[in-house]
Amino acid sequence: MKVTELFKEGKFVVSAEVGPPKGINIDKMIEEAKEYLTGVDAINVTDNQSSVMRLGSLAVCKVLKDNGFNPIFQMTCRDRNRIALESDLLSAAMFGIDNVLSLTGDYTKLGDHPGAKPVFDLDSVSLLYTMGLLEQGKDLGGQDLDGEPPTFAKGAVVSPCSDSVDAQLVKMERKIKAGAQFFQTQAIFDSERYIKFYERAKEFGVPIQLGIIVPKNAGMCNFMNNNVAGISIPAGIIEELKADKERAKAGITGTEIAARIIRECKDYCQGVHIMTLGWESKIPGLLEQAGLA
Amino acid sequence: MDYTKYVLKDNEELASLLEDKDNIFVISCNKCFKEFESVEETDGDDFAAFAKEQGKNVTGITKVDFLCNQLLTAKKLEGIIPEGTEYIAVCSCGLGIQIVAEMEDLPVIAASNSLNYIGHHGMALTQKTCGACAQCYLNLTGGICPIVDCSKSLLNGQCGGAKNGKCEVDPKKDCAWEKIYQRLEAQGRQKDFLDQPVQLRDYAKSNFKVVNDFVKEIRDSRLTGYNGGVHPTENKELAENIPLAKFPEPEIVVIPTSMHAGAPATPVVKVGDTVKVGQLIAEQNGFISAPVHSSVSGTVIAIEPRPHSKGTDVDAIVIQNDKQNTIDDSVKPAKPLEELTADEIVEIVKDKGITGMGGAGFPTYVKLKPGKPIDAVLLNGCECEPYLTADHRVLLEQADDVIYGLKAIIKAVGAPKGIIVIEDNKPDAIELMEAKVADDETLEVATVRTKYPQGAEKMLIKNVMKRMVPSGGLPADVGAVVANVSTAVAISDAIQKGMPLVERAVSVTGDFMAKPGNFMVKIGTDVQSIIDYCGGITREGATVKMGGLMMGAVLENTNVPVIKGTNGIIAVNTEYTEANECIKCGRCQDVCPMELAPLNFYKFAKQNDAKALLEKNIMDCFECGCCQYICSSKIPLVMWIKAGKQAAREVK
Amino acid sequence: MLITQLKEKESIEALVNGKAFIINCFGCKEVHFPEKEAKEFQEELKAAGKVTEILTMDYICNPKNLELHLQNYKAEIEAADVVLVFSCGVGVQTVADFCADKKVFAACDTYELPGYQGVTPQLFDCDQCGMCFLNGTGGICPLTACSKSLVNGQCGGAKNGMCEVDPEMECGWERIQKRLEKLGRIDILKNAPVQIRDYSTDDATKEAKQSE
Repeated sequence: MKVTELFKEGKFVVSAEVGPPKGINIDKMIEEAKEYLTGVDAINVTDNQSSVMRLGSLAVCKVLKDNGFNPIFQMTCRDRNRIALESDLLSAAMFGIDNVLSLTGDYTKLGDHPGAKPVFDLDSVSLLYTMGLLEQGKDLGGQDLDGEPPTFAKGAVVSPCSDSVDAQLVKMERKIKAGAQFFQTQAIFDSERYIKFYERAKEFGVPIQLGIIVPKNAGMCNFMNNNVAGISIPAGIIEELKADKERAKAGITGTEIAARIIRECKDYCQGVHIMTLGWESKIPGLLEQAGLA
Repeated sequence: MDYTKYVLKDNEELASLLEDKDNIFVISCNKCFKEFESVEETDGDDFAAFAKEQGKNVTGITKVDFLCNQLLTAKKLEGIIPEGTEYIAVCSCGLGIQIVAEMEDLPVIAASNSLNYIGHHGMALTQKTCGACAQCYLNLTGGICPIVDCSKSLLNGQCGGAKNGKCEVDPKKDCAWEKIYQRLEAQGRQKDFLDQPVQLRDYAKSNFKVVNDFVKEIRDSRLTGYNGGVHPTENKELAENIPLAKFPEPEIVVIPTSMHAGAPATPVVKVGDTVKVGQLIAEQNGFISAPVHSSVSGTVIAIEPRPHSKGTDVDAIVIQNDKQNTIDDSVKPAKPLEELTADEIVEIVKDKGITGMGGAGFPTYVKLKPGKPIDAVLLNGCECEPYLTADHRVLLEQADDVIYGLKAIIKAVGAPKGIIVIEDNKPDAIELMEAKVADDETLEVATVRTKYPQGAEKMLIKNVMKRMVPSGGLPADVGAVVANVSTAVAISDAIQKGMPLVERAVSVTGDFMAKPGNFMVKIGTDVQSIIDYCGGITREGATVKMGGLMMGAVLENTNVPVIKGTNGIIAVNTEYTEANECIKCGRCQDVCPMELAPLNFYKFAKQNDAKALLEKNIMDCFECGCCQYICSSKIPLVMWIKAGKQAAREVK
Repeated sequence: MLITQLKEKESIEALVNGKAFIINCFGCKEVHFPEKEAKEFQEELKAAGKVTEILTMDYICNPKNLELHLQNYKAEIEAADVVLVFSCGVGVQTVADFCADKKVFAACDTYELPGYQGVTPQLFDCDQCGMCFLNGTGGICPLTACSKSLVNGQCGGAKNGMCEVDPEMECGWERIQKRLEKLGRIDILKNAPVQIRDYSTDDATKEAKQSE
């Protein structure tokens, strides 16, 4: 099921993200999905996130689909050249996986195989363009595809609270021109800043899902503030988490914060995208508090 | 061969680039890494013609050698872009385009594409390439590069794609792994290859940070004080810690009448005359000239042409040494410095035959009458030539004389201060001199980076006083007088002892000098006798030079005398080589401290084009030899420059 | 212009079975050569009696120049079991070709100098991609200024305007953005078609050269 169709219906689209395991046993992941993620519209499957080698995104998407979920296939350009990317797009389409999120990918050196060759043959923009070509029955080499061409819901990402927001907006525009039909944002903690971004981005007329992370504790927030691109967590939130450590540890404070951010931004987005970071169990509660359940 | 780095974009692309633009100024790089056929390349003209065809107004065109040389490019582009220009089109590799884009406020059109060669080439134009993988595999592959020579950069052996020993990607290309097997087989090394572990390339090896820091560092060193310069291996450790020793009395001395710039002196003694130490034996002949004095006591046995370090025979006064060291009556201390007038100091310097002792041998008294206000006297203790250590020893062992001499110069030229300039490779001398001048407000010590030719007059002035001696000008034009530390000692001796310049400090050193040392040597002493005294030369065919590695004169004949400008005798490696054609690597321009373009001197000197040579300011070159040192085609550039200057002088 | 660093001392030592003839190339020393380290190592080897001769010259990448020098050292090369070359990969290969029947070993690794193909390293880098992107980027090369060599704009990895790969390096696309804004040309970025690099420009280079 293409998420673009949900947007078209005017639905507020909720997606969550799962990270494949480093190994071939995904029973636990599927069980957790069945327990906590039945209320979401789609599930993103990360692609060797942070350059750490894991079970493949496409295979996990297929398993999720077989289990009745609607997967969004995340594709980075770090590990595959254009031949492999195109081929994997066709594989996805053949399996009926028709939501694809295009990302450039973290640099190889940041992960657990620092000596690997970084590919970056294509990037997030040209990958979107490539999907468009395949939909027209053509490939990048100029050859025709056999038979019915695939179709995709073509997703992309944007980082509204980046300190380079101008560059991000230009890139967003380029992604749209290259075919992006929906966006998921980097995690948002500063509603005001997000809304400012939205006021500029809404002119593009492309649906945006607000990125959400349930904050676990002050340490995590400080770490993300210092190290993760596009993340800006206001001091007030960190104070809230510090106030009652037990509540924070149980995820109560974090869920409240995340739900509040969703409520504050709800009129300025067309959906939310929840990055769980292991707290899949918090999702049902979060959706309820945010008024989305 | 031609490894030029750019071609113009095709007309279709250029046309679309120009579509909405007009009033274009064209900057074109004269290309690099190709045989030096023409001085100016035509790409800029081709582009300008195309732009005009498209109905565009071209506001001007300029062609620049090595556009990527930021410093020189900035100077060349200053103020040349006419009013009304809206765009700058650059025909260059990406380096040049980015340099211009950074420098100018106008939008820049890249009119060319950089060419992409597989692998990098060395400095010579050679087919051999290197992928710069930072993990050299040549030790496993018999010296054939699998990264570049194999289309797939395979590391663990041949793929299945080779057909008849040719590559599947390019059937004209030999399969690299086929060649590797053959080479290893011929050397009996297949087993080594079989036994090696599986090779996995580490793509994280290229450490951008290291490289970037490193690039900053070299740029810093290249540009500090003045543009360019080079860093030959110093090799000072061979002799720098050996104290100055008195060289034994020579049997005879051969004292040339020409040991200075300008006219030879006129002998005033005859064969058979008895002479004493310090006695005038040849008098000054004209304004730019210097008198000559005997360095020994004894008998004049000949006055005739004798071999000279400059390669020709020169009139010389030959004296049999009686080894009595009887001092001439004229050798008497002058009044104390405090009582001497400036003119009196100049007179003493003139009468005692003092000439520049750093090598060029310009009569010192002329410098001491600058006729212009002088802001500072720079005393050159850089000794930037590799190997040489004589000035270093003089600074350490004759520090008081150095300072006395400097004060005399300061007084003679009426300068408010004197600066002793020492390279940072002589920390002991810097420390000693700083202590010596600590209580004197008119004297200071300046430490400069070790870089050749730091001790050149114009470089010293630029570096220490931040002033540029104008083209064709003299140090005095910018308020400076420069003298060598040994010259200061000679002035001190002349005033305090009344002794003319008859002896000097000489480094006898080099990789192939058996027992290096530093000596006080009498002028006229035979070089070969000094070499013998130092144990001889340890490698047959080594080159002996009088002076330093960079500017010293090669001695084909070592039976020549030590003269006033002899600061060293060195035995070094012989360069067995032949000149290749210039490949426009651009290094000569990069290292030229005078910001000249030596490759053009070579080109124009060959064509005997005096006008072009003068336009390129050949007369500003002081023959430091940096360009020849760095030349990747081993062209004897200094020889060509000398020939070029000769041609230019004839026109002038 | 290529520059080098010494391999691990142990790994060079392991190469020298018997005696070595050593060649140092100082041709690119003005840019960089690990002179001090090389000298120390060679002196140790010499003290152990494992060296027939040390030849220091420049531009061994020039085969003619190399030959002229090596002619004078035939006996020393003959007496050596291996030829150990302290130079970039080009130099090692030139020596290996010249002494094809000898074991020729590289004592150095050649640094990758991405984008520094200038005469001496300049502040501005060119990757010689063969399809200059500078017209769309305000004259800042996205291939060398961006760690990922992205050609369609900034990735999400920049933090405080700095690169995710090297936090001391300014994000190349941030620089491009600023430059284009300053020039009032941000539209050229917005309106640019999707850029896809052509990695086959090596062949285009050859053809361009051959057709000359």
